[in-house]
Amino acid sequence: MPDSSHVGRTYVAPGQVVDGQRSRAFAAALAGDDPVAEPEAVPPTFAAVYLLFPTLGQLFGDAEVGIDLAGLIHGEQHFTWHAPVHAGDVIDASARIASVQEKRGMTFVGVDLEAARQGEVVCSGSSVLIVRGASS
Amino acid sequence: MSAPALTALQVGDAITPLSRRVTQVQINAYAEASGDPNPIHTNEEFARAVGLPGTIAHGMLSLGILAGAVARWAGGSERLTALGARFSRPLLPGDTLTCSGRVIAVEEASGVVSLAVEAVSDRGDSVLTNGRAQVRLDT
Repeated sequence: MPDSSHVGRTYVAPGQVVDGQRSRAFAAALAGDDPVAEPEAVPPTFAAVYLLFPTLGQLFGDAEVGIDLAGLIHGEQHFTWHAPVHAGDVIDASARIASVQEKRGMTFVGVDLEAARQGEVVCSGSSVLIVRGASS
Repeated sequence: MSAPALTALQVGDAITPLSRRVTQVQINAYAEASGDPNPIHTNEEFARAVGLPGTIAHGMLSLGILAGAVARWAGGSERLTALGARFSRPLLPGDTLTCSGRVIAVEEASGVVSLAVEAVSDRGDSVLTNGRAQVRLDT
């Protein structure tokens, strides 16, 4: 179970290539039965693919933090886009545990996120992950 | 896509709402495209076993639809500079999600427009709450 001693842990996923085919499938999945509004654009929330999963996947696999996936809820998500991302871009993704708090018998893990393209930050953000069950 | 004219915008103006019915087929497609392996979105039995009424849509799927609603209003996704929300209630397959928003600040010098945004389901659940978005329009 995460606790405040885990604040500061960092997970890096360099070299995430923005895959155009996957981005188009992602856009189609968001559109559902509607036509895709911007077929050539990488959807802004494709950051889930190049930023969230590569880094949070490592956090979930960190046995010392010990997040139980069965009790995990994605509580909040915030993104800021500093520059458009295009297919073929190579993204260095990183995540850092910013806070761990217990509230109402649940553990709230705040994570800061950053995606950079050749050193230029293109997307930053934060996640709140809620783990049911408190550590104490 | 045509963008709203910055000088005509006023605090309180509403964006054009976007409604979309989200099916299990769409949820499965999102799970595959996003790479989210969590079976609560795709496996009915597993979802019930962890206390859910059934499979639920990804919060990030609803947030992605909300991003599309704001981008459509702003005249393109490259104008969307920030978006965030709390995932308050699950969206269930077959539900229709309606995304809406209103202008809360306009900075005429920079073209930055701030919006309060949300998404509700047709069963009356507040799916995305405390939402904030920012777009940059032509000055």
